Amino acid sequence: MATRTFGEPVQRNIDDRLLTGQGHYIDDIDLPSVAHAAFLRSPFARAKITSIDVSAARAHPGVLGVFTCDNIGHIDQDLPLLIPHPCLVGPRTQRPLARGDVYYVGQTVAMVVAVDRYTAEDAVRLIEVDYDPLPVSVELEDAAADGANLVHEDVAGNVAAHFVQNSGDAAAAFARADHVTKITVRVERSTAAPMEGRAVCARWDRITEQLMVWDSTQAPISVRGGLASLFDIDEDRVRVVAPDVGGGFGQKVLFFYPEEVLVPMAAIQLDRPVKWIEDRTENFIGSTQERTQVHTIELAATKDGEVLGLRDFFLHDTGSFIPYGIAIAQVASTSIAGPYRIPNIEVEFKAIYTPTVPVTPYRGCGRPQACFAIERAMDKLAEELGLDRFEVRRRNFIAPDQFPWKREGLLFADGLAVCYDSGEYDTALSKAAEAIGLDRLDEMKADARARGKYLGLGLGFYVEGTGLGPYEGGHVRIHPITGKIYVNTGLSTQGQGHDTVFAQIAADQLGVDPSDVIVVEGDTGAFDWGVATFASRAAVVSGNAIHKAASKAREMVIEAAANMLEAAPGDIELAEGKARISGSDRAVTLAEVATATNPLRYAFNKAAQSATQFAPASKHDGPPLADGKAPGIEVTDYYSPPYSTWAYGCHAALVEVDPALCTVDIRQYVCVHDCGNMINPMIVEGQVIGGMAQGLGGALYEKVQYDQDGNPRNAGFMDFLMPYATEMPKVDIVHMETPSPLNPLGIKGVGEAGTIAVPATIISGIEDALKPLGAGHFHEAPVFPHMIFEKLGGADQAKAS
Amino acid sequence: MQAERHAIHIVRRGKVVEISDFAPTETLLDYLRLRERAIGTKEGCAEGDCGACTVALGRPGEGEGTEYRPVNACIHLLGMADGAEVITVEDMARDGELHPIQQSMVEHHASQCGFCTPGFVMALFALYHREAPDGLDRTQVNDAIAGNLCRCTGYKPIVAAALDACADPVFDGFGTDETIMALKEADKGKTLFVGDENRFFAAPVSIDELAALYVLHPDATLVAGATDVGLWITKQMRPIDRVIHLGRIREMTAIEDNPDSLVIGAAATYADAWDALSKLDPDIAEVLRRLGSPQVRAVGTVGGNIANGSPIGDTPPLLIALGAETMLRHGGDIRVLALEDFYLDYGKQDRQPGEFVESFRVEKPGPNTAFRAYKISKRFDQDISAVLAAFALDIHQGIIRSAKIAFGGMAGIPKRARYAEKALKDISLNDPSGWQPAIDALARDFAPMDDHRASAAYRSQVAGGLLKKALTEIAGEDTMATRLTGTREAADVGLT
Ligand SMILES: Cc1cc2nc3c(=O)[nH]c(=O)nc-3n(C[C@H](O)[C@H](O)[C@H](O)COP(=O)(O)OP(=O)(O)OC[C@H]3O[C@@H](n4cnc5c(N)ncnc54)[C@H](O)[C@@H]3O)c2cc1C
Ligand code: FES
Repeated sequence: MATRTFGEPVQRNIDDRLLTGQGHYIDDIDLPSVAHAAFLRSPFARAKITSIDVSAARAHPGVLGVFTCDNIGHIDQDLPLLIPHPCLVGPRTQRPLARGDVYYVGQTVAMVVAVDRYTAEDAVRLIEVDYDPLPVSVELEDAAADGANLVHEDVAGNVAAHFVQNSGDAAAAFARADHVTKITVRVERSTAAPMEGRAVCARWDRITEQLMVWDSTQAPISVRGGLASLFDIDEDRVRVVAPDVGGGFGQKVLFFYPEEVLVPMAAIQLDRPVKWIEDRTENFIGSTQERTQVHTIELAATKDGEVLGLRDFFLHDTGSFIPYGIAIAQVASTSIAGPYRIPNIEVEFKAIYTPTVPVTPYRGCGRPQACFAIERAMDKLAEELGLDRFEVRRRNFIAPDQFPWKREGLLFADGLAVCYDSGEYDTALSKAAEAIGLDRLDEMKADARARGKYLGLGLGFYVEGTGLGPYEGGHVRIHPITGKIYVNTGLSTQGQGHDTVFAQIAADQLGVDPSDVIVVEGDTGAFDWGVATFASRAAVVSGNAIHKAASKAREMVIEAAANMLEAAPGDIELAEGKARISGSDRAVTLAEVATATNPLRYAFNKAAQSATQFAPASKHDGPPLADGKAPGIEVTDYYSPPYSTWAYGCHAALVEVDPALCTVDIRQYVCVHDCGNMINPMIVEGQVIGGMAQGLGGALYEKVQYDQDGNPRNAGFMDFLMPYATEMPKVDIVHMETPSPLNPLGIKGVGEAGTIAVPATIISGIEDALKPLGAGHFHEAPVFPHMIFEKLGGADQAKAS
Repeated sequence: MQAERHAIHIVRRGKVVEISDFAPTETLLDYLRLRERAIGTKEGCAEGDCGACTVALGRPGEGEGTEYRPVNACIHLLGMADGAEVITVEDMARDGELHPIQQSMVEHHASQCGFCTPGFVMALFALYHREAPDGLDRTQVNDAIAGNLCRCTGYKPIVAAALDACADPVFDGFGTDETIMALKEADKGKTLFVGDENRFFAAPVSIDELAALYVLHPDATLVAGATDVGLWITKQMRPIDRVIHLGRIREMTAIEDNPDSLVIGAAATYADAWDALSKLDPDIAEVLRRLGSPQVRAVGTVGGNIANGSPIGDTPPLLIALGAETMLRHGGDIRVLALEDFYLDYGKQDRQPGEFVESFRVEKPGPNTAFRAYKISKRFDQDISAVLAAFALDIHQGIIRSAKIAFGGMAGIPKRARYAEKALKDISLNDPSGWQPAIDALARDFAPMDDHRASAAYRSQVAGGLLKKALTEIAGEDTMATRLTGTREAADVGLT
């Protein structure tokens, strides 16, 4: 048997290319006579457009086309509501170019296509638009309040969706409880800010009548389907390729963004390739964001701290449109009980329109908010009952032998009841306590005090439903000439290292080195069944599909090799790119097997010549290709998860606060996580630490700010503060591996794991640190220095100094 | 003006390249990506913050070799690269062998989506070629990549890769004798003028030529490092037709280190002035370390920081507290002005059309002067200060004889705290109970603003806290525990 690479820190296949500047992102695609698009965007959060004059822009030298809602034909329509749901009371989606009204600063009003980007941008400035600004209610609570200014005139109360779910009987639990803890928490707006913004390049080929679209997207197949239906072109005439994609984190899942429709449209109309590259400001005002939610959560507990029931009501800010339906709010509401048994749950939310950038999932997708709510509530419960924070959690964990743990009545984003599949929660908590040095906490606190600082312990536990269905596919083929393995799947990568882990999965089945597996994804020309990359699902869903396809390919190889070598299939082993009779040196290469299984007319290479020296690969009579057989070794298979698999983990931190400057320093950070079996621990660590950095942003630095008129105040990297290297604390990662029983590889997703618990962890640490100063509770994320200052203002200043 | 050159010369892959047809505002990034099709270098923000566009510029160093500095190509004007070797990520691997930095990044899984990667490679290339190649710790690596954003990796693997790669002696085939020869050939040392009277990029080589040119074109934009001006072009899309670059004037990049004073040319970069300014006081070194990033400091100038008149520039408060003077020149006339008098009001300085900052001068603090400075921002690296405080106290036998205190971020201009200064006069350092009036007086000195960086109340609190911190530190032992220097971890200042 070949050495298994599953579980090994195999180096990535694409790194040489990325490290030497050979990565190809959309802006690196060089097409002859490509034209460039630029957009005029609304400067108002809410306004009526009274007139648009594009004559000067049209007359500008070098301009090839100026588009408004009036000359884009049938594309001038509401873009699709991607995930409908019965609880959506007033679903609204945006149009490619505003017609009559604008709903947020940044909304696309007109598009200019010109010979180069500078000309296009100059011409954009020549377009004259008259707006009648309307009053706005920007803050979530204001927009939800009675008498708020409406985003959509016909959507009363700005309520886009209202949904209640029940599991068990919360009312009865609250009636029975000894104690009720109630808190309100608020998580602020953030944005994914991938290093490469969005980008689209399109070419209409008149000869083949093919529309070729390069799109920096996480969902090429969906974009392909959408474009085909919108332009009424056969699907196989539209090819969408996501080449190297410079980060996505959810922001690039949405289809359609207006630009994704308009750029291909312009390419067809102008019969000329057109490219649009989002600039950084546009990414802040024209690409979706996420996070603002205000939860009021109540826990009904016994005096021993057993939580009998949970009620959560929250407002979810969906921005000006709701193309993704209730996905985020639904994930938040179904993750709300965390790792705890809590048998009786009532969750209710309202999704509220605000005149801001539309909201779709960003890494975490509702989970950081749910985690923040439940974890801060558990801390409050412990405090109120005089119990230890760790102990309260322990008393409520679902025990290992209680899985599968179903929350009947709570439907997860896949439409199925929440059902946790496996976990060792208590162990995770203990490991976190140990790694952070809980037994030395008092000592460390005293040490900080001696330096004029206050140290606290941060703690956060998260669960994460991962590997959502419906399905993905895997296509495996052994190339007859090189013997290399080609693997395709429908979703796309934004740097998560799919090409390497997928290669490992196939390599293990076929006995080759992962570097001999060529993974092609994100190209509808290569494989076009599937969904997209989001919700930590790629490794689980595509990974298992590829595993299934590769193991079938393995059987085919073994059967063919046994025939060729005149041996029993049970004696064949696959290793080093060969099928060999165990314990002998009689072997055929995979190239020979692939050739021999493909009845050929011409022996044009060495594998073909040498393949003839063996017995036939197939034992059958009749025509060269047996009835019902396909040539070569090629398999396509699919994996469709029965339901989501739940990863989890526990974070802990030592957080030090300087009471005079109100600054926060994280002395140490521990991530204990369990994503089932790990395919590649190096890549898993990369995902966890990277996610942790984004979580850190959400805890201390990143907030998209709007003024009261709905103007973004920090739409750029100078003011939207993401962590640099120095901000990253020392992070220790502790891996646990509880296999998922749901899929053949026993894996769970890890893409979002690092992010979810960080705000809950760090902010609980700040609160713990400042307890001696009576600073009170920190129930908002992120926490900025001035907020600490305000909390300390209530405290005895003398003690602080 | 007698321009002697109408083209710039840069060194690319060992060869001198002449470029004569460029717009005054063309950026180095556009030149690389659009003209050379060297597309390895990426644009992530076009405002100098993300570092995806980082390239290395090589110029003859102090000694024999070539000095490599990282710059943000997105806001670096092409004309400014005149006379430099330009190295991009594509140039790094040689004969199919990855550069040690690249190899180490592969081994440490230091790239995920790969978009920021070229910028990190180049920032680390500059670190690899650092001036003093002795031991390197995590903090130094963090400092070296303080201008590079990565949204995927969480930085850890990048730092580990850098530590590994930089542990070995430099051996990568860059900065050889051939490089020096090519650089000599490229550096024509003559005044440059590309364009015509209406639209030009000019780079005089003497102050006299500059003075004459600026009198002729008082509406031209002076550019030192373009770390401000670059953003006017890329973000504000201001039309700029006439650019006069100061970086080629030797007299203006010079630093005169006298026994009791420093005279720094207005076009000296932070990197050039680093040693001289850092020696004045460790707190100044710490502020400089956190000012922008290596990319910003490689080209940005103290002169530009003074001249732009920003209320949140980091160096003016430091220099005002040190009693700096600035030399202003118009044609043949020179004016000397106390720096604090240069700032008249928000956005308004005492500078006439055609007049420019030639240099500034600071007295070195004497043995009786205690100096402290602090930069307070939300993020440690590359963040605009919410408050910047600088204190210079003249102390005699434990009594404060006089004080100079200047703040940034507390008013529309960098401003002295005159009331607080007065309240400190004749106060004993040994008796903290006497300090409060000075702290309270800050409320009379300043009425700060609320903005998205900080609230007014928080700024006021911080200002008071910093004054107290300075007094506490100066009164007490001067130890690592009290000074805000060195590693971030050592920033554990006993504030109370
Ligand atoms: C990413 C980034 C981070 C930054 N971080 C900081 C920071 O932490 N702290 C901080 O203080 N600043 C920061 N800045 C701002 C900027 O780097 C500084 O203000 C810098 O000192 C400007 O110098 P420069 O040489 O680049 O100026 P330039 O952009 O070349 O010029 C700035 C202004 O000064 C004028 N000027 C330049 N030289 C002269 C002269 N000799 N006489 C008259 N006028 C002149 C120019 O015409 C222009 O108006 C940052 C900038 C960026 C892009
Ligand atoms: S592109 Fe971001 S710093 Fe230049």
